[in-house]
Amino acid sequence: MSASIRLHQVCLDLPIFDVSAQSLKKRVMRLGRRNRIAEDNTGVIVVRSLDDVSLELQPGDRLGLIGHNGAGKSSLLRVLAGIYPPTAGTVEVRGRAVPLLDINLGMDDQSTGRQNIRLRGLLLGMGDDEIRAKTQDIADFTELGDYLDLPLRTYSSGMRLRLAFAIATAVDADILLLDEVIGVGDASFQDKAARRLEQLHARAEIVVLAIHDPKVIRNSCNKTLWLDRGRVRAFGDVESVLDAYSRHVAA
Amino acid sequence: MSVFAVGFADLAGSLRSWRLWTLLGWLEIRQRYARSKLGPFWLTVSMGVLVGALGVVYGTLFGQKLTDYLPMVAIGLVTWTLFSSTVNEGSMAYISSSSYIRQVSTPRLVYVLQVGWRNLVIFAHNFVIVAVVLAIFGVKSWLTLPLVIPGVLLLLANALWMGMIAGLLSARFRDFPQIIAALLQVAFYVTPILFHGAMLSQEHRWIVTYNPLAYLIDVVRQPLVGVAPTASTWVITVLMALGGGLLALWMTGRYHKRIPYWV
Repeated sequence: MSASIRLHQVCLDLPIFDVSAQSLKKRVMRLGRRNRIAEDNTGVIVVRSLDDVSLELQPGDRLGLIGHNGAGKSSLLRVLAGIYPPTAGTVEVRGRAVPLLDINLGMDDQSTGRQNIRLRGLLLGMGDDEIRAKTQDIADFTELGDYLDLPLRTYSSGMRLRLAFAIATAVDADILLLDEVIGVGDASFQDKAARRLEQLHARAEIVVLAIHDPKVIRNSCNKTLWLDRGRVRAFGDVESVLDAYSRHVAA
Repeated sequence: MSVFAVGFADLAGSLRSWRLWTLLGWLEIRQRYARSKLGPFWLTVSMGVLVGALGVVYGTLFGQKLTDYLPMVAIGLVTWTLFSSTVNEGSMAYISSSSYIRQVSTPRLVYVLQVGWRNLVIFAHNFVIVAVVLAIFGVKSWLTLPLVIPGVLLLLANALWMGMIAGLLSARFRDFPQIIAALLQVAFYVTPILFHGAMLSQEHRWIVTYNPLAYLIDVVRQPLVGVAPTASTWVITVLMALGGGLLALWMTGRYHKRIPYWV
């Protein structure tokens, strides 16, 4: 099965409960009120984080997402990962999509590096056999050596990052979703991560990565999507979109 | 897909991911007792102290024979702990797993099953107390003893559907964990754990007769004190598990999409 992604007029509304409702008291209080026109019917504040996004990706595509903070890059990745079902529109994702959105996901401080490999592997949908087969590869990439048998709370943040990155990129993914993860870490790690991503090109059929650094996008992507307040501002080949974006930022 | 189909599909997917929820359940226990010498056996110790204290104090207060009363209290408390902490922690199942739910898409009920598994492991630790008490005061009947296994499974099934519903409600309305904790507190005192039905006068018997939780406790406790649970006990607990389970799966299917937005 070849991987593909097709989004058709996708909208995503995120309810922000902290601001108003999500409390039973407010629900009950509202019952007795005669005039409810002043509020919207639920009292929940909604933020539209994706607005009418249509997109099609074929095997071999490497999509770079750019845009300001809060432009909807992470939301889009979460929709692609199947975490947020869209409010409107259709999402068709074929193939196994593996997200690497937050490096601290499923990292248990009391467990050793090896135990964390299993935990995170299971969360990403790997089986025990697959995890066992990949452990050596992960250990080699992280260069953590004996540290793998120490609890995670003894790790530096760079070591955590290396471990998390190694696990996520070890999964046999058809679609890989990355959120600003390569931007962190020291220079030697960034080199290694870039090389590892290149290797992935052979395995993963589609890669979507959100990143601020145009250099990384030029190096590893063949398409770019510029999001602005949840809308598609530009979508196409890397150079033209990046040019338009840098002109916009400079202006 | 119909609402039920979504619920059942999630349950099937969650059961298939058993490696994940057994591991998550263990992790939580390991975190709680990290670096302590006794580890999870602190559970056993504290339960033992509680059973000893309550058994002696209330046994004397109610003028009961300790040889009968202490085993009853021990089994009742251990069983009640399994039930109440599954429901209680079930209400936090989605909320406390929010970091997972918002980062990867796994079947949702994994996070509820994790609670059930964790409490089953804790129950196994606490069961040492029951075994000790039975060893001291003697087993009434070996024949009824194996019935405790379906009993525990029935109790757990009922606790899990209540936990599933509690988890959904609590994720949406953050007042529910408090409400549920308060209700469980009340339920503890009206359910025959520190007392048994026969100790109530005839006009107060209804407290036990119309209390569904009394049947859930009985289905585990009676096999251990040498009484086979009555047919009505089996029927009531099985029907509760089926009816409640269907309702919980329907609700899970109905609000399946909303969970990541709520947490």
